[in-house]
Amino acid sequence: MKKNYTRTKPPEIDRRKFLTSLGWTGVGLSTLIASIGNLLYLKPAIDYGPPTLLRVGKPEDFKEGIKEIFETERVAVIRDKKGFAAISLTCTHLGCTIRTSEMGFECPCHGSQFDNDGFVTGGPAPKTLDWYQVAIAPNGELEIDKSIKITPGTYFKV
Amino acid sequence: MKIKDELINLNQQKQKGWFKQFWSNLYRSIFRYGKIPQDAEGQSYAVFNNLFLHIHPVKVSRHSLKFSYTFGLGIIAAILFLILTFTGVWLMFYYFPSATEAYNRMLDLRSSVDFGFVLRNVHKWAAEAMVVVVILHMARVFFTGGYKPPREFNWMIGVVLLLLTLGLSFTGYLLPWDQLAFWAITVGTSIAGYAPIIGEPLRKFLLGGDTVGQEALIRFYVLHVVILPGLMVIFMAIHFWRIRKDGGLSHPSENEPTKKGNSR
Ligand code: HEM
Ligand code: FES
Repeated sequence: MKKNYTRTKPPEIDRRKFLTSLGWTGVGLSTLIASIGNLLYLKPAIDYGPPTLLRVGKPEDFKEGIKEIFETERVAVIRDKKGFAAISLTCTHLGCTIRTSEMGFECPCHGSQFDNDGFVTGGPAPKTLDWYQVAIAPNGELEIDKSIKITPGTYFKV
Repeated sequence: MKIKDELINLNQQKQKGWFKQFWSNLYRSIFRYGKIPQDAEGQSYAVFNNLFLHIHPVKVSRHSLKFSYTFGLGIIAAILFLILTFTGVWLMFYYFPSATEAYNRMLDLRSSVDFGFVLRNVHKWAAEAMVVVVILHMARVFFTGGYKPPREFNWMIGVVLLLLTLGLSFTGYLLPWDQLAFWAITVGTSIAGYAPIIGEPLRKFLLGGDTVGQEALIRFYVLHVVILPGLMVIFMAIHFWRIRKDGGLSHPSENEPTKKGNSR
């Protein structure tokens, strides 16, 4: 009997092509996984920065209408008829520390101005100053949590 | 220099004393050609066998050797990088990337360490000069049309080199840990934070936290003394190799049919 050895249709993917692409897929996937691992490694996991909780003293230590400045913590504590507020002293433009002015606050870096509630009244700052959550600690002191931002204008009543 | 000439030379050396012969052999093991060759073939051979001259093709266009064509800006940038590496490594012996130590170490370098102020100032001035020179070099390449094919890839390598230079400048600026450094990096990283999507992660990656502190200092230090200089060396090597492989520097007659009397 005569055999016909000629293939009618060559396979679209032969063994060599298949193994090559399998190899490259492996290289690609492991590169991807390794890159993700490296990026995750570089992502700051632990916050070594200054503590976000701070106690600033008893409510009665604060006089009405006076901005109490905590320079290293970069926060101003304000007592108003409406209650207490803790306003961030970090300029919303590019992060300089702002100082008090007659109108409220001003930034020495590029001249942004804010009113007493931290709303922008001039300069390049794009956003209202952050307001931090204020609470009463078990020992009766005011406690500010810089990790929790609240709607500007919401005063804390004692 | 032909092999035959070399053999004749070697034969002649046999007649010298052993000491002279030793030096002559040593010299020839480094510089394959003898004294500076006078003939065209010997000169080509000399260029071909010297790593530093090899940046030029064997035959160089008269045009690209003219000082006013390049103003030597690329070479000046490379030399400034060498100066920065030398002074930078020397500074590393005293500098300490710690939020409590860095500023004091910088003051000590300035006032107590012998020649510390010289190293620091050379490092600072060379750094400023490097930024200026790299930008001027880029302008030269642009105005002479050096970015056109076949050199468009080398232009892209050049863009990477510019970014690396700026990156070194930026990361180095934090290291003295004084008021200027602190606020410049506060502002600089805030600007980075405004970039869409990657901005905030990039800021966090650079600072290692939310504000400029110890974490930021160590990150900037590692970038400044290891990662960016390392990348710089790699990309400079590619840059120089490409100049050679793209047929030396650009010259005006290149893209035109050779005109009469146009000596390339
Ligand atoms: C291998 C290369 C380099 C090493 C090892 C190095 C190392 C250092 C070190 C240890 C410091 C801190 C010492 C001090 O502040 O006085 C420093 C500062 C600095 N570096 Fe570099 N550096 C290198 C290259 C560069 C380059 C290429 C640039 C810029 C083009 C640059 C720009 C700066 C700047 C602007 C400072 C701040 C200088 C000051 O205000 O004192 N460095 N470098
Ligand atoms: S950082 Fe405050 S105005 Fe720019």
